[in-house]
Amino acid sequence: MRTGVSRRVVIAAAVVVVVVGVFALTASRSASQAVQATPARPARIEGKPNLNGIWQAINTANWDLLAHDVKPAVAQRGVYANHPVLAAPVVALGSVGIVPPSLGVVEGNEIPYKPEIAKQKQDNAEHWLDRDPEVRCYMPGIPRAMYMPYPFQITQSGSKVQMVFAYANASRTIYLQEAPKPPADTWMGHSVGRWEGNTLVTHVTNFNDRTWFSRAGDFHSDALDVVERFTPITPDALKYEVTITDPNVFTRPWKMNMVLYRQLEDNATLMEFRCIELVEETFLGHLRKNQLVKHWEGDTIILDVTRRVPEGDKRYER
Amino acid sequence: MRTTARVFAVIAALMAATILVSAQTQTKAPRTPWGAPDLQGIWNTNTMVPFERNPQYGTRQRMTEEEHAKALAELQQRNQRPGRDSREVGGKPGIGTEKDVARAYNEFWFGDKPTKLSYRTSMLVDPPNGRMPSYTPEATKRIADKREFLAALLQGTSGGRPGPISARRAEPSPDYNLDRINRSDGPEDRGGPERCFGDTPPVTMGTGTFGGVMQLVQGPDSVSIYYDIGQGQGFSWVVPITSRPHLPKSVRLYRGDAIGRWEGDTLVVDVTNFSDETSFRGSRENLHLIQRFRRLDANTLQVEFTAEDPTTWTQPWTAVQELEKADDKTTLVLEGGCHEGNYGLLGMLLNTRAAEKAFAEGKGPDPATQDNATGGGGDN
Repeated sequence: MRTGVSRRVVIAAAVVVVVVGVFALTASRSASQAVQATPARPARIEGKPNLNGIWQAINTANWDLLAHDVKPAVAQRGVYANHPVLAAPVVALGSVGIVPPSLGVVEGNEIPYKPEIAKQKQDNAEHWLDRDPEVRCYMPGIPRAMYMPYPFQITQSGSKVQMVFAYANASRTIYLQEAPKPPADTWMGHSVGRWEGNTLVTHVTNFNDRTWFSRAGDFHSDALDVVERFTPITPDALKYEVTITDPNVFTRPWKMNMVLYRQLEDNATLMEFRCIELVEETFLGHLRKNQLVKHWEGDTIILDVTRRVPEGDKRYER
Repeated sequence: MRTTARVFAVIAALMAATILVSAQTQTKAPRTPWGAPDLQGIWNTNTMVPFERNPQYGTRQRMTEEEHAKALAELQQRNQRPGRDSREVGGKPGIGTEKDVARAYNEFWFGDKPTKLSYRTSMLVDPPNGRMPSYTPEATKRIADKREFLAALLQGTSGGRPGPISARRAEPSPDYNLDRINRSDGPEDRGGPERCFGDTPPVTMGTGTFGGVMQLVQGPDSVSIYYDIGQGQGFSWVVPITSRPHLPKSVRLYRGDAIGRWEGDTLVVDVTNFSDETSFRGSRENLHLIQRFRRLDANTLQVEFTAEDPTTWTQPWTAVQELEKADDKTTLVLEGGCHEGNYGLLGMLLNTRAAEKAFAEGKGPDPATQDNATGGGGDN
């Protein structure tokens, strides 16, 4: 009798549970099979502007922060002292080796170097290829990462804003909540952020003295202190303002202003820009057992640029 | 009748458990303000789990209490063994030998030893025996060819088989080399980590000083992971949440083309388009990864991946790992800066050229007779 009841109860329970279970499994399966498409972009994240997406500066600040005319990427003296021509590293590139003109991004078009330090920038510019950390595929630092001519992706949540830069796989985290400070100097700095209305304000410190602001040789010390302001002008454009303070190098704080644009392509994707491997020939080529570039003299690369006159041109050159 | 009832009862219990588990995960998994499962945080692990399973456990994924107690005692015993500094090389005191010097790191750098052991018998859960599937004949040959090349470059040195210096020293590597090989003709002869290439997905975290930490930040249309791992081999990995198709086959990426989607509370990441510079347990450009991230509770992130490559393995295989949440207020992931400070690669090439020059001038041994490859690894 007892056995009979319990058996009946077990069977009944089993049937109920099996029915419910099958239903639940079916439901969860159909839910899991419904693969979500690209999610719609909410206008705000925890009440703040939604900056999630792939962005890029459209300017030539990375070439030169100041206003400039077209100029050779690498120059040598031409016939006229004030009209340099393309130099060996880029002479074969023709117009690809030319820096485009720009109005510049610096407020007042002046970077206020201390007088005794100003010549260092000129010296850097003259030895650009030897010294620029970008040429070596080093992490670009802040603010330079923001206006290199390559995209970066913002992943924004309520507690952190992560930015990953295509170039060199560099990245930064903007901490919106309490976080410890790094134990040593860094290339990309330590960013602490807060929202002021619709503006994301960051304070970036803990820099080393090895990054530059641009290919024109503008530099800083490890006392660099950066304040950035990201303000949406439209959902797809950000006003980007930077205040640079470094009492070791500059007489006063100075500012940059530019706009960052969202990539609006449906298939916008942050792709790898791995440069480490491709710069090995530039910096280690002379240490190969069998050199690929045949004109190393000691540790000096002698570039003989060979350009054949194309068949079509020869007709006119006869 | 009685048997039927029992079978039903077992099925019922299993079903009830399934419902309970799914109900539990649905209520427990925290969500972002925009309604997605919240996987964010800084994650790592301090609990040892072997990658492959000790055959003694058969097809069981979990140890019994007694097995766990025994395995933990063995781990603690292993921790008492002499460290790297005092180990023997070939039955003789190792200190000062070529191999010892090439180890580069002494005991000091290895920090605390892991003392926690998981009940999991292995990260590898499929095949059900917890062991790697066999290599295909094609992969077996590929791996044997490379091994023979490595052996040829070591031939006649203190770390290699006896014989004359091999003529193969003049040959290029049969694959895109990422191994530590006994030659430094150019940067391509040095290993991937020495060239600061950084790690690639999938990352399995280790325990202890070099175990690694990952930081996961999440937005509605992307999940951005930074792996701080492997002495400067860290990297950023952005997984877009998108329905776009994979990139054209002609585009090959070192870390692959990742596409993420949500399946219930699980982030599923499909990764293809790897390059021949990618290397994962014998697989190269044909690797296809399906990675699953799921939060089991407030402090546990389960990371599972299935790896398939019909040119390498006879069947797909799956591994799983549980990561523990670290305190955001006291834990910080750090930038690697490997390439920026990589004087080692320069030094290897520079030293080898200097040794060749000295040898040519009759002032030193032939660098080809020296072993610069077998020391320094974690395995000895």
